[in-house]
Amino acid sequence: MYDLFFRKFNEKVALTAEEEAFVKQYLTPKKLRRKQYFLQEGDVCKSICFVEKGALRAYVLDETGDEHITAFALEGWTLGDLYSFIKAEPATWNIDALEDCELILLSKQAHDELLQTMPKYETYIRLLMTDAYMALQRRTTYMISLPLEERYLAFNQMYPTLFQRIPQHMIASFMGLSAETLSRVRSRISNRK
Amino acid sequence: MSTKQTIAIIGATGNMGSGIAKSLSKTNNRLLLFAQHTDKVKSLVEDIKKGNPAAEVEAMECPTNASWEADIILLALPYAAEKEIAAKIKEVANQKIVISISNPLNETYSGLVTSPDTSAAEHLQQLLPNSKVVKAFNTVFAADFANTIIDGKQIDTLIAGNDAQSLDTVSALAKAIGLNPLVAGELPWSRTLENMALLLIQLTMKYNYNWVAGWKVLHN
Ligand SMILES: NC(=O)c1ccc[n+]([C@@H]2O[C@H](COP(=O)([O-])OP(=O)(O)OC[C@H]3O[C@@H](n4cnc5c(N)ncnc54)[C@H](OP(=O)(O)O)[C@@H]3O)[C@@H](O)[C@H]2O)c1
Repeated sequence: MYDLFFRKFNEKVALTAEEEAFVKQYLTPKKLRRKQYFLQEGDVCKSICFVEKGALRAYVLDETGDEHITAFALEGWTLGDLYSFIKAEPATWNIDALEDCELILLSKQAHDELLQTMPKYETYIRLLMTDAYMALQRRTTYMISLPLEERYLAFNQMYPTLFQRIPQHMIASFMGLSAETLSRVRSRISNRK
Repeated sequence: MSTKQTIAIIGATGNMGSGIAKSLSKTNNRLLLFAQHTDKVKSLVEDIKKGNPAAEVEAMECPTNASWEADIILLALPYAAEKEIAAKIKEVANQKIVISISNPLNETYSGLVTSPDTSAAEHLQQLLPNSKVVKAFNTVFAADFANTIIDGKQIDTLIAGNDAQSLDTVSALAKAIGLNPLVAGELPWSRTLENMALLLIQLTMKYNYNWVAGWKVLHN
């Protein structure tokens, strides 16, 4: 149930069996079915989720009701509305399951207690956040500076598993493009070869 | 918008389980129902959906899966069955709210089988050390869920537990089904709550309340 969680944890910080058991006390195992919400806009994001199995996406709705995908999470990734989680303010993101999921939740309370009591957890979170920040930096740079075809190739290289698994119209939304534009970009790239 | 909570009711076909399930099915919650006789669970689900086609309620084959999928777990079991179920859900109930409604009555309803220095709720907490056990609804009779107002007054449900957030969540549930939540204190207050249920049963039998009765704290 916690296999992947601890595998990923140990990649960042090695834990003894006792330390794993200690962390486990704070984790909430939770199943979510396809199309069910993990979080809805307006609610406070009380937990962040680690994906043991399945896939989720985060999106925002604009004033016309159109969805804009802000993030995905596949196995081994962590997702939540971080702003809402840390500040305990209403979330602006919606997060729902694209497939049936097995998640490991970390509540704010559990997170705070672990930060206080376990230096290795603090290291884990620091590395997790640093990785996330670097990914965000790259993604933002690609979004605002690269021409469409290069942007597509860069995203594809950054998230190869995502591109194989997630429907194209969602990838388009994630890249800030319409589905039609994305498919034109893709055909231009394949014509190049 | 508000994210739907999923509530697993284990022992859903009993007097209490079905009463609570029917009430909760009208709120913004998704219900997963389990009991050993699956045919009864299925007919309860049909019954609820007949009255309210929009209700999100489902029969589950296994208490572990139901609890794994749930945010909140409610045990509507006889006290004697709690140990067996606790062993099955222990791992998946980690960090989750588990509501204890049981009254550990003896066979003649004349006393409790637990010793005075503990309670059914505290036993459950020992069996589920990483869960947030909350005592609630045990001082309310099953028939009360269909009508939470008696003699013009809203029935109180006394609540006990150690985790403030969980007490808020359970209080909100109680309110959503028409009861007045009243937090008594930490989990050891369950001893008093379970004895209050015993007393209410005694009074009901003595004065023929017909199992429609409840506690109300009058105050200014
Ligand atoms: N009745 C009341 O007014 C009232 C008021 C306050 C508190 N309570 C408390 O609420 C609890 C339930 O009372 P109740 O009157 O609703 O009892 P009940 O009518 O006998 O219902 C018990 C439920 O538990 C299930 N069950 C029994 N043994 C089980 C096991 N080993 N594993 C899984 N499920 C099992 C039963 O279905 P299956 O047999 O199909 O499994 C049924 O759904 C008790 O602890 C009682 O003290 C009752």
